[in-house]
Amino acid sequence: MSRHEQANILMVDDQPGKLLSYEAILRDLDENLIQARSAREALDVLLRQDVAVVLMDVSMPDIDGFELADMMHQHPRFQKIAIIFISAVHLTDLDRIKGYQSGAVDYISVPVVPEVLRAKVSVFAELHRKTRQLEQLNRELEQRVEERTEEIRELNSQLEQRIAELETIMQVLPVGVAVSQDPECRSITCNAALSELFGVEPGDNMVVTKDEIQGRPFEIYQQGRRLEIEALPLQMSAKTGQQLGSMELEIRRVGGDSSYLLANAIPLFREDGKVRGAVGAFFDMTRRKQLENLLRERADLLELATEAVMVRDMSGVLRYWNAGAEALYGWRREDVLGKKIDDVLHTRVQADGRGSDGVDSALAENGRWSGDLIQVTRDGIEIVVASRQALKEDGSAVLEINRDITAQLRAEDALRRTERLAAMGRVAGVIAHEINNPLESITNTFYLLRQHPSLDDEARYYAKLGEEELIRVSHITRQTLGFYRESKDPVEVSLSELLDEILEFQARRLEISHIAIDKKYLSRGAIQGFPGELKQVFLNLIGNAVQAMPDGGRLRLRVSEASCRNGRNAGFFISVTDTGSGIPPEHAKHLFEPFFTTKSNKGTGLGLWISKGIVQKYGGSIRFRSCQRPGGNATSFQVFLPHSHRNATETVPPVAQARSSQTELMGKSSGRE
Amino acid sequence: MAGNKGAILCVDDEDAPRTLRRLILLTQGYEVFAAASGREALQMLANRHFDLVLTDHVMPSMTGTDLTRHIKSTMPRMPVIIISGVNEIPTDVSYADLFISKIEGPQALFDGIAQVLEQYRVTSETEIPDRQALNPSQ
Repeated sequence: MSRHEQANILMVDDQPGKLLSYEAILRDLDENLIQARSAREALDVLLRQDVAVVLMDVSMPDIDGFELADMMHQHPRFQKIAIIFISAVHLTDLDRIKGYQSGAVDYISVPVVPEVLRAKVSVFAELHRKTRQLEQLNRELEQRVEERTEEIRELNSQLEQRIAELETIMQVLPVGVAVSQDPECRSITCNAALSELFGVEPGDNMVVTKDEIQGRPFEIYQQGRRLEIEALPLQMSAKTGQQLGSMELEIRRVGGDSSYLLANAIPLFREDGKVRGAVGAFFDMTRRKQLENLLRERADLLELATEAVMVRDMSGVLRYWNAGAEALYGWRREDVLGKKIDDVLHTRVQADGRGSDGVDSALAENGRWSGDLIQVTRDGIEIVVASRQALKEDGSAVLEINRDITAQLRAEDALRRTERLAAMGRVAGVIAHEINNPLESITNTFYLLRQHPSLDDEARYYAKLGEEELIRVSHITRQTLGFYRESKDPVEVSLSELLDEILEFQARRLEISHIAIDKKYLSRGAIQGFPGELKQVFLNLIGNAVQAMPDGGRLRLRVSEASCRNGRNAGFFISVTDTGSGIPPEHAKHLFEPFFTTKSNKGTGLGLWISKGIVQKYGGSIRFRSCQRPGGNATSFQVFLPHSHRNATETVPPVAQARSSQTELMGKSSGRE
Repeated sequence: MAGNKGAILCVDDEDAPRTLRRLILLTQGYEVFAAASGREALQMLANRHFDLVLTDHVMPSMTGTDLTRHIKSTMPRMPVIIISGVNEIPTDVSYADLFISKIEGPQALFDGIAQVLEQYRVTSETEIPDRQALNPSQ
């Protein structure tokens, strides 16, 4: 029977015999029976123990049963304790007992019927146990609820923190963020960055409707076209349910500047898979766009520059090559980028002729270098450039800007030479005059002397010899110290006939020197000019050729048409080529200078200088080419003469003439080929 | 033989060349008079007849060209030849009938004089000979 938890049964009676009898009656209930001999004792038990049922005698001395019950009812802990009064059947007692309408109060009249007592106690004990169990369950439930509530509170607080965090992130984020909570995007909230981008008040509804768009302080464009509302990223994403990436938008503020945005949008879905809104992110690219424009401008400027602009890294590898460099060196960008600059340009410093190591060490030391460099173009031509180079601030690359000064140097050089030639010309003119005057007198003297009747044959022979020598002197001054123009107006001269005349004149020398003639006249070569001075030009060239071949060789003469090209007039090319000793490169530069001769005492050193002067007067040019190689040398002078040239009939300042055709006169020497 | 072929006035500021030029012309049968300056030549021209004037080009005070211009302005039918030591024809000698370089030698001078005289002889009294036609190279 003791499967249940024992309930405390408090039995209160002032008579020990009664207590014993109750105990005997209730023993079988297997409850814990506690005896109390008075109400005071009973209270004492009640305070210390959890009592299920109080069995009390109504009539007790000192404090009777009713008083005890009243006390119990006033005490919250004891209110619910079941009370069974044991009482003799008095009307007054029964009325009072009935007065306890609420609560578990019962009574048993005397004499006590053991079964009744047992049954009543048992019911209350059971009730108590059930109540206790319920209370226990209740407590457990409450505890669980309490625990869950705590958990939820915790979660809530975390959630709130996260939301606050997100809010803060949204507000401090430099990226514009817009959120729409409905698929039609009727309400769009945005963060501070986006408000600023669009120039609206923070917290404004960013909704854009057809009516409202007119009132907005901005317009949205994509690639120069104004965007319809449906095409805006958030709206489009919500409508299509698709993620949109990297739309480039331009925000044109009314009466102001533009911002450039990179927009991404992503739809928000409900649990059922339907779109409930959209989120958009907007990156401000204005600064980047401005920088890009700036960079593009700079790049365009670099491309416009006529200077060669290059960037190389610290190992000399080319990283940038502008249009100016392409034009100057002939190498295209794709040909040279990634190659070493020295492999491309073979740079040498002009001042000392050494490689570019000196430049690199100067750059390492000072961060800058400037000076003249010799570089080689794609065509293998050496050019001189004025170069400025600077080390990038972070020391990662070298910037180089080069300007071609080859032509400038040549022009300066040519000008110097022309000035020298002009001075020489003036001196020559004066010398000619000073020599010619006495020469005439001496010639006339010898003429008179030779015819004088007083002379014998021997003296006359001496005079004749003297006169002949004088003719040579006259010839030399005429040929070298100026040119005698035999007519005032030019006439038609056939260059091929002129060459034939000269060959005839030189026939004996050619024969003696075993020189074979190879002539090819592709044209008669008729030009307007003065035969005397033209003859002098080719007499000089042919004379030089013959002298260059003392042991025989081949003299080749060519006359051919030259068409009008590159600003050059139409005319003729006349070339005189010999297989003689050739012209060493070191002589090439001075070939056309006065008093330059390789023939020591035989020549005057004026032949080519005079020839050049004459050809220039005709608006023509002379260039030469000389090859020296083991198999045989060849030297070729090519003269260009235009059909007619107005300068041929006018007196043109020699300097101006010399300049106009100076570049043609530079002469190509290919002696090292 | 002297004087048969015509009278030539030979003008040069320098004595030796003038004398020598006169002497070689005498050998050709010309009557030759000498003047040491353009001014003297103009005076002589005013006083007597000459068939031709042969003048040096570079002279102080009055150049050969100046003299030629003077002569041609008053005596357009007077042949004038300029002889010069410069190797190039100066641009201002076109008034003269012929320009001869000194270094061409005596024969060239003789030929030039003969040609100019011949040209004047064959042309009519009023017509001035075409100077271009006298140029031996054409």
